[in-house]
Amino acid sequence: METADLSHHISRRYNADLERVRSKVMAMGGLVEEQLSKAVAALIEGDSNLGVTVARDDYKVNDMEVSIDEECQRILATRAPAAGDLRVIVAIIKTITDLERIGDEAEKIGYIGSRLASMERPADKYREIKHLGRIVAEMLHEALDSFARMDAEAAIQVAHKDRIVDEEYEAIQRQGITFMMEDPRNISRALDVMWVVRALERIGDHAKNICEYVIYVVHGKDVRHTRLEDVERELRGRADG
Amino acid sequence: MPPGAKRAIYVLVRLLAAVVVGALLGLVFGHVWAGVAAALAGYLAWQLWLLISLDAWLRNRRAVDPPDIASGVWGDVVTQVVRLHRRKRFHKDRVMRVLRELRRSTAAMPDGVVVLNGDNEILWFNQKAGEYLGLTRKADLGLRIDNLVRHPEFNRYLHSGQYTLPAVVRVDPGADRYLAFQLVRYGEGQRLLMVRDVSRQVRLELMRKDFVANASHELRSPLTVISGYLETLASEPSLPPDIAEPLGEMRRQSVRMTQIIENLLVLSRLEATEGQVAGESVDVAEMLSTLRKDVMARPVHPAKVDLQIESDARLVADEAQLHSAFMNLLDNAAKYTPASGSVTLRWWHDAHGGHFSVIDTGPGIAHDHIPRLTERFYRVDVGRSRATGGSGLGLAIVKHVLQRHGAELEVQSEEGQGSTFTCHFPASRLDLPVTRVASG
Repeated sequence: METADLSHHISRRYNADLERVRSKVMAMGGLVEEQLSKAVAALIEGDSNLGVTVARDDYKVNDMEVSIDEECQRILATRAPAAGDLRVIVAIIKTITDLERIGDEAEKIGYIGSRLASMERPADKYREIKHLGRIVAEMLHEALDSFARMDAEAAIQVAHKDRIVDEEYEAIQRQGITFMMEDPRNISRALDVMWVVRALERIGDHAKNICEYVIYVVHGKDVRHTRLEDVERELRGRADG
Repeated sequence: MPPGAKRAIYVLVRLLAAVVVGALLGLVFGHVWAGVAAALAGYLAWQLWLLISLDAWLRNRRAVDPPDIASGVWGDVVTQVVRLHRRKRFHKDRVMRVLRELRRSTAAMPDGVVVLNGDNEILWFNQKAGEYLGLTRKADLGLRIDNLVRHPEFNRYLHSGQYTLPAVVRVDPGADRYLAFQLVRYGEGQRLLMVRDVSRQVRLELMRKDFVANASHELRSPLTVISGYLETLASEPSLPPDIAEPLGEMRRQSVRMTQIIENLLVLSRLEATEGQVAGESVDVAEMLSTLRKDVMARPVHPAKVDLQIESDARLVADEAQLHSAFMNLLDNAAKYTPASGSVTLRWWHDAHGGHFSVIDTGPGIAHDHIPRLTERFYRVDVGRSRATGGSGLGLAIVKHVLQRHGAELEVQSEEGQGSTFTCHFPASRLDLPVTRVASG
């Protein structure tokens, strides 16, 4: 883990800059995690106030993205980082974009949640959404953990979970279609629920992207658009050789 | 004679003996000095050999037994070294044992403990902390705690530098899990982070609030029926006096009960909302003059209720809540001030913020009662407050309303001299006419 050790720079200020921007990314991650869990809670508990709060607080996430972006640009311009540091900065710039998108999806869920709060809640009390929401929240949490620890092994494990999320998404979609065919009066709400499920699925994808940036930082290899099994085999082979 | 000196004499005697033997042998062969030299060389070689074997043993003490040097200074050195070594090992074992005990006891502690340095990096943590915060052994040492525990509330607490009160964080809004974080400063910039699972306490507190809210709500409807009938019955003019009197008392008590329940509901509503209220601009002067009129319209009221409006500042507040707080303060003052006394309402502002005082000339409150006044159902004089029909919840409501507005309640009182209740609102809540003109 060469990059986790940032203390080898002669300039202490440089180190402090890198550490600070990394901490800011993690703080932004924490905020996004909270937004997501609040948004899902707002929907499940039918708490319209909470949903509105989530939608209103999205500006905080956006502000953080802009401020981290500026700081990264400043580091790139003044320090001209190379090798591992450059990869960290590049990964941070990409990560905050994904985090901001997750924030937008959470805003969407919060908004829909506040709208659905006034309607009658379904008999299953959004059990599927609760389940999927939990998996996605866990995935995001672990992705950010692997980013904090720069742990590529853990990142690969988390990226695997995206498949579970995709399967759940399809299952809920099929269920939703049956639901709509049973009684056309359900269509309006079922569509809203589909939006939420879709947003959760997208959040899973963004979390997976963050994992890919971790692998990129640690191994210096771009693994986007590559099958996970291939990535794993190649990285393992490299470690053994 | 000390053993060292004895040893020295023994060694000298042995050296002398060797020299004498060498000299005698030399005499036999006819070369005395050659014999002495040979004896000395032999003696030196023997000493060197002992030194080498001692060095070899010191280098590899564990594997090799001490060299067999029973006599002479070298033997002494070996004994000393062995003794020193043994003493060192004894102390080391003791320290290790104490350390192990310490580690074990902190690991067994029911609370999580994390040791942080000045840069918030994790130096050490116990098992419970790892469990609560999802930290892994070894891998997370040296990492920053705020990178791994990312809850915005915790982050705010960590960077606030205000560690007197613990921060309670709902770890996962889906699950009802609450952790209390408490930081303690020690050493040079080091901090101890204690983590406690307070889910049970928080849940109990929530249950208590729910219970009070539900119970008051459920009690309200049967009570409405009872007071309704009592009202009709008591107003019946043909009732014999021995029934009319108890009926009247029942009616008064039912009115009081309704009031208590209403106040309980207000309190539980206040408790249900967390954080500060936003509110809108409220005209304090107008509210106070209305309150004054209400009091003067009562059948029994103090002779004088003065209004001192020294500021035209408005207050950003929740109007209904503010009204009920001010109403309660004025109500208390009016109740405890005799008909001949006076009550003064004062509203003013300065650099610290806005202030509202209720000054009465009532009997006053003893010092030891003052800190407990805002507790629910706390009574200074049980008999009298029953007689005046108080609910015992008024000041609790005042306290909660003020908390919601970031304000504080100050109570000054001398027995027999009257009391002054002052609400201090922060400057950020003021809506000054200057800024109104500027923005409008």
